[in-house]
Amino acid sequence: MISPHLRFEGFDARSWTNLLSLFAPGLRDRMNEEPAGTDVPETDVGEVKAEPTVGTLVILRADDGRVLKAFHTTRGRVRDLQYDGPQDLERVALAYHSRRAFELREGVLDELAEELAVRLERTDDYATQWLVVARIIRELTAAGKIHSWPRPVSDVPVPTAGMVRRAVDIILPDEHALVVVLWEHGSPWTAFALRRRDGVIDLAAGPDLLLRWTGPLGGDWRRDHRIIASAVTRAVAPVHVGLFAEASTVRELLRTPDPGAWIRAVAVRDIIIHPTPPYVAVALGADATRAVARTTARWLGGFDALKPLSPIGTYLRGRVSEVASVTALLGFDPLRALAHSLAQRPVREGDEPK
Amino acid sequence: MPGPRTPERPRAARTRGTVELRDRALSLGGRSVPLLSGAVHYWRLERSAWRPALEELLRMGFPIVETYAPWGVHETSPGEFDFGKKDARKDLGAFLDLAHEIGLVAFVRPGPHINAELTYFGLPERIVYDSACQARSPKGNPVLLFFPPVMFPVPSYASARFHQELGAWYDAVGEVVGPRLWPAGPVALLQVDNEASYYFRDGAYCQDYHPDAIVEWHSFLAQRYTTVDALNAAHRAQHATFEDCAAPVRFDAKDADGLAVHLDWAAFHERLIVGALHKMRTRLERAGMDGVPMVHNMPLGDGGLPLSLPALEQVADLVGFDYYHGRREHRTIRRRTLYLAGTTRFPYAPELGVGAPPWFTPLAHEDSLYCALVALAYGLRGFNLYMAVDRDRWYGAPIDASGNPRVESAAWKLLLGKLKEIGFHRLERRAEVALVVPREYQRLSRATHLLGPIASSAVEAIGGTPVDACRDDDLGFAGPIQTLWFRMLARFADAFTDAGIPYVYVDGDADAARLAGYRVLVTPSYEFASVGRWQRVCHVAQEGGTLVYGPTMPGLDEHLRRQPFEVPRRGRRVLIDTPEDAARVVAELADALDLARPFRATPDVIETSVHEDARGPRVLFVINPEKRARDAEVVLPAPMAFVDALTGERLEGDRVLTLRVPAQTARMLLIDGATVEPAKAQRAARPRARRVSSGGKGGAS
Repeated sequence: MISPHLRFEGFDARSWTNLLSLFAPGLRDRMNEEPAGTDVPETDVGEVKAEPTVGTLVILRADDGRVLKAFHTTRGRVRDLQYDGPQDLERVALAYHSRRAFELREGVLDELAEELAVRLERTDDYATQWLVVARIIRELTAAGKIHSWPRPVSDVPVPTAGMVRRAVDIILPDEHALVVVLWEHGSPWTAFALRRRDGVIDLAAGPDLLLRWTGPLGGDWRRDHRIIASAVTRAVAPVHVGLFAEASTVRELLRTPDPGAWIRAVAVRDIIIHPTPPYVAVALGADATRAVARTTARWLGGFDALKPLSPIGTYLRGRVSEVASVTALLGFDPLRALAHSLAQRPVREGDEPK
Repeated sequence: MPGPRTPERPRAARTRGTVELRDRALSLGGRSVPLLSGAVHYWRLERSAWRPALEELLRMGFPIVETYAPWGVHETSPGEFDFGKKDARKDLGAFLDLAHEIGLVAFVRPGPHINAELTYFGLPERIVYDSACQARSPKGNPVLLFFPPVMFPVPSYASARFHQELGAWYDAVGEVVGPRLWPAGPVALLQVDNEASYYFRDGAYCQDYHPDAIVEWHSFLAQRYTTVDALNAAHRAQHATFEDCAAPVRFDAKDADGLAVHLDWAAFHERLIVGALHKMRTRLERAGMDGVPMVHNMPLGDGGLPLSLPALEQVADLVGFDYYHGRREHRTIRRRTLYLAGTTRFPYAPELGVGAPPWFTPLAHEDSLYCALVALAYGLRGFNLYMAVDRDRWYGAPIDASGNPRVESAAWKLLLGKLKEIGFHRLERRAEVALVVPREYQRLSRATHLLGPIASSAVEAIGGTPVDACRDDDLGFAGPIQTLWFRMLARFADAFTDAGIPYVYVDGDADAARLAGYRVLVTPSYEFASVGRWQRVCHVAQEGGTLVYGPTMPGLDEHLRRQPFEVPRRGRRVLIDTPEDAARVVAELADALDLARPFRATPDVIETSVHEDARGPRVLFVINPEKRARDAEVVLPAPMAFVDALTGERLEGDRVLTLRVPAQTARMLLIDGATVEPAKAQRAARPRARRVSSGGKGGAS
């Protein structure tokens, strides 16, 4: 899915950081955070009571159960850890205000590296390689050599490369491009275009390249989006899906738990999706359907809420199988998983477009 | 009080053919060129972008263009190379000729390791998949590097096949570069390999168990111990020959008796790299790439790397650190630069990151500029801005891939202009204190690191310390030496910083000349210690310096054999009990020795660093690492006037300079020359201090 010859170009520091901040709330705050107060970071449970919940607590244990070391990824060495084993992981993670915690058996990462070297094929691409890593981690977890808290997708099987490839086929077919441009104050805040060729993503182009392909834009993104889509088609490949919006709109939508928010944003042209492939239409339809269900339940009758969405509903009936197929292929709905993850991490001041 | 320190030795004068490193600059037939370069990757740019990119580089103020020359890009089939006949962008010769025509000097880095975010790190695919070339894990498997865009097996630094294949590449690229060496062409600097640290798989037991490496391991033991009996005494073993001593595959020592083999293995890792680089350098020279200074660069995470900088300086003329740091890593930037300033003959950054690869922790323009200013403040004297011109798998360069300057380039242009205008590379930052880093304990830390392939260098590179994941067992000593040494040095670093007393770090492997001239040395000591390090620090005490050591007087050498360790008989000795004593000890020393605290600032969070020449102070850095702006007061030795190098603001003070320092900002203030005479007079009255980063050592290798 990812070409070993992937080209990534056309970003400056601002546009790249802007893009990352969409999916990593608090990124700018972390980039700007103050240096540690000392060169010898150490912590004990008494010192972290007033601190925010951040980072990862790592506990390394010998085969006989002894704790060989415990440290926090941002606060340094943990002194005098009281720990009774995997069943105690949640308690110590909370006690040290950690977002997550791992218990690793001594040597388990070496075991992982050795196993990976045996299993990888020369022809595996990077995504496939990481699926192999994920599978080995599952096995080591099952063997009791790795424990984690929380266990976010513990009940979801690791998909195979074939499953992921078929899912990507739906989202971005071969010899097509996907383009996203987000604006702020009339100029692109961040943007990217992806191309899939010979089955793999081989190009990730940033705003510099997009603007080189388009030439000067008019400044009204609701008009400019057509120029961009045409330019990407000419320079890269036919655009399969394009998403154009104000950055703040997308930031809110990515985190909203409110069913129907996406379809409403599309309806009032807060977001323009052009072209709109079946997968996206279905995703929006699923969003609309959830909104309708909720509204209907609230208003009892629900007839008025359904009416404006009925054309989409009709369209959806013929396409639902495609949504189901992506979710079924992967074992989970990636968009819902992303929204769920982002919803847990509130927007911070530094996330806002600047 | 100790007497006056020994006078300074001449600065480094390194001659390679007609190109010299003199006074921390390239000397080209009498022309002095400061080591300020910008990276441009010719093969990644459209040919039409070469000229605008190079001309913009020159306009920004860079006298030197740096480029890699990637083996994997130029090799089209085994033994066949394209230097522009098939793909015009690969015409390295034309690129160098254009740089020459434009008036740029060139710095060429032909690998073999390139990284540069290239697939297979710039090596040909056939090489990385040739099992004879591959590094080996303890179980004999290939050793994979996890970086995107594809994981691959890394080569072995010991593999004879790899070195043989490399020769063909060097011959080919030598045909292009050799005729363009200065003065016939622009090439005045070369680099051997890149970030030679086992391709980031540098955990103590990750590699290298390649048969050729094991042969070298046995040869290393024979050289180290001379006799099998001596080996057996150290390893508490009954080997019949050196070849019987198996390389350790995991840390299994329970106490001091089992430690020597692990310390030897960690030391062997360092030796293997130095040996490999020596072979590479020799081969480069055979391929016609000789007569110019040779560079090597160490990656992030140097505190956990299997690399000895003093040993690397035996192979390369210029060894520096790569810098990719955000503002939040202020302490790391300071620590690394102070180590370079105290340990190397020329504090230099072969890669000073501006922008980053997309898979790194994101860095903003403000991060890169702050990193550069703080590194300069603490003693960096030259750098290669990486990348100056944008390219594939990178973002944030000040010049875009078409050769157009981005808005961020203005700040760099201003900085470069000032550095050259004031001859910053010739200035000195004085320090009277050196913290001596004990390499033998560093090796123990590597051996006791618990995260395997996520090596201690990686933990440090992502914001931790090299001892964060070391086991806490005491191994039969009074405490876990593998973590205690780091804490002790860090406590003293904190204490000297808080007291406003300039200091540097000196590698424990550095020769005695590196320690000469300091008034105070601080070095941790526990039950075992390197005899060489101990003798060198004791010599400084014998000469009248002050030695702070402890908490334990060593009784075992680095092979864990009982040895008598001399207690320095002269000079001031301070045996400390715990690292927590650091602040008290520093306060007492400062008073007793009247240690200089030049340009002391308040509030305490504000750091200052001053650089001077024979006329007195020339540049003052005032640094605020905090997230809120601060009004600072800096004590002046005399009335002075300043100009902010980047904003042009004029400032002056009688005995105190009052200024605003914005959040997470380093202000570079140029001192008006007319006002410095009183300061010079005051300084002259003080005992002499070591001028760090003076390049005090003559040539090497």
